[in-house]
Amino acid sequence: MRKKVSLFLFLCGLLLAILPLTGHRSFKIRPDNLVNQVLDPQVNYSVDEVAKLIVNGDSAIRLIDLRPRNEFIKAGIPGSINVPYEQFISEDPDIYLNDSKIKVILYGNDDFNSNYALVYCRGLGHDNAFVMDGGLNEWTRTIMESRFTGSRISARENALFEIRARASRIFNEINALPDSLRAVRLTASRFSARKLDGGCE
Amino acid sequence: MGPLTSAFAFSEWLNLLTAFMIGIGFGFALEQAGFSSSRKLVGMFYGYDTTVLKVFFTAAIFALVGSQILNYIGLLNLNQVYVNEFYVYASIIGGVIMGGGFIMGGYCPGTGLCAMSIGKVDAAVFIAGGLAGAFLFAETFPMIQGIADSGYRGAVRINEIFGISPGLFSFLLITAAIVMFWLAEKAEVRFARPEITNEL
Repeated sequence: MRKKVSLFLFLCGLLLAILPLTGHRSFKIRPDNLVNQVLDPQVNYSVDEVAKLIVNGDSAIRLIDLRPRNEFIKAGIPGSINVPYEQFISEDPDIYLNDSKIKVILYGNDDFNSNYALVYCRGLGHDNAFVMDGGLNEWTRTIMESRFTGSRISARENALFEIRARASRIFNEINALPDSLRAVRLTASRFSARKLDGGCE
Repeated sequence: MGPLTSAFAFSEWLNLLTAFMIGIGFGFALEQAGFSSSRKLVGMFYGYDTTVLKVFFTAAIFALVGSQILNYIGLLNLNQVYVNEFYVYASIIGGVIMGGGFIMGGYCPGTGLCAMSIGKVDAAVFIAGGLAGAFLFAETFPMIQGIADSGYRGAVRINEIFGISPGLFSFLLITAAIVMFWLAEKAEVRFARPEITNEL
């Protein structure tokens, strides 16, 4: 009887060793430290900061759009990749955050899912995870619908509105392209933007 | 699907009722298996009765195999199963105190309650001592908080630490358990003592 039970348990163990079971990842940070970390304003990128990074073609950032696939196909921020929220939190975020030199900026329609995803990433010890404050709704309000209404414009405001206008133009250009051409267009625009960097900025 | 409490969104009272029913079943099984006897329990430390090791390890392995298979076929989401957070130093100190208390008192907390419920006076004193210890711990917590909170590792699992899959870890643990069962039976023969439980 004992030998039979032992053999049964051994075979069960062998079966488990063969099955492709997915490993669980645990949060490494104490809950209070994690809360302090995600509430720190430094984890937030404003839409203007993101717009500037896109216009400059900064290759040290990676934008992740957490919205559902059908919404991303309609419109997404140039250069972003789509990983729906449910998929993002069910798989290992190392795939997207393994390079600590690359800042990963998460966004959704608003702050809800992106903040949850931020907690998930930071909890697993990825200090290079950030969120875009306000999500795509804020992007639309601030970048796409931005209009200067005053009579005099300062140099600082002029630079800001110039970046918003350029980011808005890139957004419209990219989203007007067929899906297959978006990636090619993005690579080309980054290349040309880099060549124009420098000078009096 | 599982855990059932989250799959069916158990209300608090139903959650507590479920825990209560499972607790009754657990206590009944412990008592029936003879774990209300302190001689049987401390036999583990002296080697003449290794029932504790065999029963608890077998139960753990069956739970392990069952939960992994249910997880694989999608009936149980192990990510939703609560795992205690690991504080390295608190675990070592607590383990030493717990082990010392176990061998001196003859019970662990669960079996102590089980023995108290069938009227054993020593178990009642043991439980009273445990409660006094818990009270002292709570009252002195601000003084020992530094030790209690140090060495935090999160709700980490062993397979994560070794960087192996849960399935491979299960296989290794089962193999280790079978070897330990075999050694335990050898120890029982070597350190055998006359059975006196029935005479008491």
